[in-house]
Amino acid sequence: MSSINVKVGDLALNSPLILASGTCNFGHELSSYYDLSILGGLSSKGLTLLPRLGNEGCRVAETECGMLNSVGLQNPGVESFIKNDLDYMNTLGTKVIINVAGHSIEDYVGMVSRLDQFSSKIDALEINLSCPNVRAGCMSIGSERDQVSEVVSAMRKLTKLPLWIKLTPNVTDIKSIAYAAQEAGADAIVLINTLLGMVIDIKTRRPVLHNNTGGYSGPGIKPVAIRMVAECASVLSIPVIGCGGVMTYEDVIEFMIAGASAVQIGTGSLVHPTLPVKITEDLIDYVKKNDIDLSSLTGTLRMW
Amino acid sequence: MTVSELNKEYRAVLVEKKQLNEDTFYLSFRCPDIAQKAIPGQFVNISCSNFLKRPFGVASTDVANGLFYVGVKTIGKGTNSIASLNEGDMVDVLGPLGNGFNFEGFDSFILVAGGTGVFPINFASEYLQAKNVKHTVVQGFRCKSQIVMNRPEYVLSTDNGDVGIHGNCCDCLDTLDLSLYKNCAVCCVGPLPMMKAVGAWATKNNLKCFVSMEQRMACGIGICLVCVCKLNAEAEGQEFKHVRCCKEGPVFPYEEVIF
Ligand SMILES: Cc1cc2nc3c(=O)[nH]c(=O)nc-3n(C[C@H](O)[C@H](O)[C@H](O)COP(=O)(O)OP(=O)(O)OC[C@H]3O[C@@H](n4cnc5c(N)ncnc54)[C@H](O)[C@@H]3O)c2cc1C
Ligand SMILES: Cc1cc2nc3c(=O)[nH]c(=O)nc-3n(C[C@H](O)[C@H](O)[C@H](O)COP(=O)(O)O)c2cc1C
Ligand code: FES
Repeated sequence: MSSINVKVGDLALNSPLILASGTCNFGHELSSYYDLSILGGLSSKGLTLLPRLGNEGCRVAETECGMLNSVGLQNPGVESFIKNDLDYMNTLGTKVIINVAGHSIEDYVGMVSRLDQFSSKIDALEINLSCPNVRAGCMSIGSERDQVSEVVSAMRKLTKLPLWIKLTPNVTDIKSIAYAAQEAGADAIVLINTLLGMVIDIKTRRPVLHNNTGGYSGPGIKPVAIRMVAECASVLSIPVIGCGGVMTYEDVIEFMIAGASAVQIGTGSLVHPTLPVKITEDLIDYVKKNDIDLSSLTGTLRMW
Repeated sequence: MTVSELNKEYRAVLVEKKQLNEDTFYLSFRCPDIAQKAIPGQFVNISCSNFLKRPFGVASTDVANGLFYVGVKTIGKGTNSIASLNEGDMVDVLGPLGNGFNFEGFDSFILVAGGTGVFPINFASEYLQAKNVKHTVVQGFRCKSQIVMNRPEYVLSTDNGDVGIHGNCCDCLDTLDLSLYKNCAVCCVGPLPMMKAVGAWATKNNLKCFVSMEQRMACGIGICLVCVCKLNAEAEGQEFKHVRCCKEGPVFPYEEVIF
């Protein structure tokens, strides 16, 4: 009793807390702040087949309860990652989750078949069908049920690694898209990526972000994420991983009650790099005080 | 890495606050680790009333008393909330962050400051002074009321000619007798147009120049990639590359920056 271990399908994690893609790079920087082995896992910066420089000009806009980013998937490309960062991630003592992005079904297929060659060094592939900051692909694939089916089935044929499908919240019916991903062979659904937003500088009357729009993250998006996790968990048989606005251990518990098997923290690490340490300590206190296993909370939501 | 070597997010107390002019404040915070480790050109990320922290160049340190100093010009909500802190109030602070000036390999320096660049340049001057390295500080301000962190030995210019040389930093630089500066480098912190002009002046005079860039930041520690600067990457076979201002910067060689 009173453990914070959880499972996502067959994958056992020593904590529900996973660092969200794009908010921990490949772990180099944060490992100088704390021992990352206390985490359930670390999801790499979103990778693409070729290196990407990302968007130009201002890439961040602050809001009352969070921030918008328009990084545009700046990353060194999958080959450089394999050469320079994959082994490093394996030294961190936490689960290695590789976040995969693309512009087309061919991109995703190419990435998954290449990464599958390193399956002994990877615990799960997180397929980002949801980045709002690149013009084609990603979010547009993730908003069409048929395309989600097609890309997930194609990847399923290429790998036995757990396929976690990370969906965009910028859709009207998240349940049907999550369900399509499950039926096509997904092992888990990650909810949510950032919400598409805009911030305007009233002095210049121009958007702060030079990409005009960006992805909204942080505490402001948590209610949307909780709602989507609850909706999807009620119709899916595969695990859901919650993400969006986690700042405290109570947020982690809220996601788990809504139906999440594990929970990611993104923007929280940008504000306080050691926040995951505090949340982990608080979760351990919580399970001890209540004499429960954290995993027993998953999906215990009672709707009105 | 042992626990004591790990980087930390500190709670630091505001020890003293001084108002330098209408919109500029000089604050000292107690944080012995930062006071001891910081080198000129590095910055700290300080919590404010808003969601994200705000970056400020380290303006000075007092190692004996465990203090570091920052100068804050109020421009928006975050800087105003920091400037309205009271002595004894606490902030969260990360630092020292980024790469500061690398003074190795040069024997003398011309330090050029404009705007809030006077603060990091003050630290650079104190640091070089303590090591007895020859250097000259050049400051450029809009007008007399803007002058802060000035000392009598500095070379001073104002845009309107109130005091000092009538003109900008480059007009000041032209008055220097460069034959007195052996194996010299220029370090410049200020508004973009100034750094561009000073960089061009240094290049014309065959002097190496370092500039300190400002970008909007979120984490300040290299994990979010929102703060990138555009650098020349011809050597790597590309037109340009995006490099994190908070991690690889904020100080870059002038010739690498695409302004
Ligand atoms: C490396 C570095 C060193 C700096 N050193 C100093 C210093 O020593 N003294 C000083 O007074 N100021 C310094 N600045 C600028 C200072 O960080 C900004 O003035 C401050 O962030 C503005 O916050 P605000 O909420 O008052 O302004 P707002 O305009 O309301 O801020 C809105 C957003 O834009 C960002 N932002 C606005 N202006 C800047 C800017 N110039 N640079 C980076 N982000 C900005 C803010 O952080 C915030 O996220 C430095 C900036 C950087 C990057
Ligand atoms: C700066 C930044 C970069 C991000 N990059 C990625 C990415 O490369 N791939 C991805 O799947 N999600 C990316 N995200 C989304 C986060 O992983 C997460 O889904 C989202 O921010 C919501 O969680 P949060 O509110 O805890 O940040 C990024 C978010 C931020 C703030
Ligand atoms: S501010 Fe996050 S990488 Fe520089």
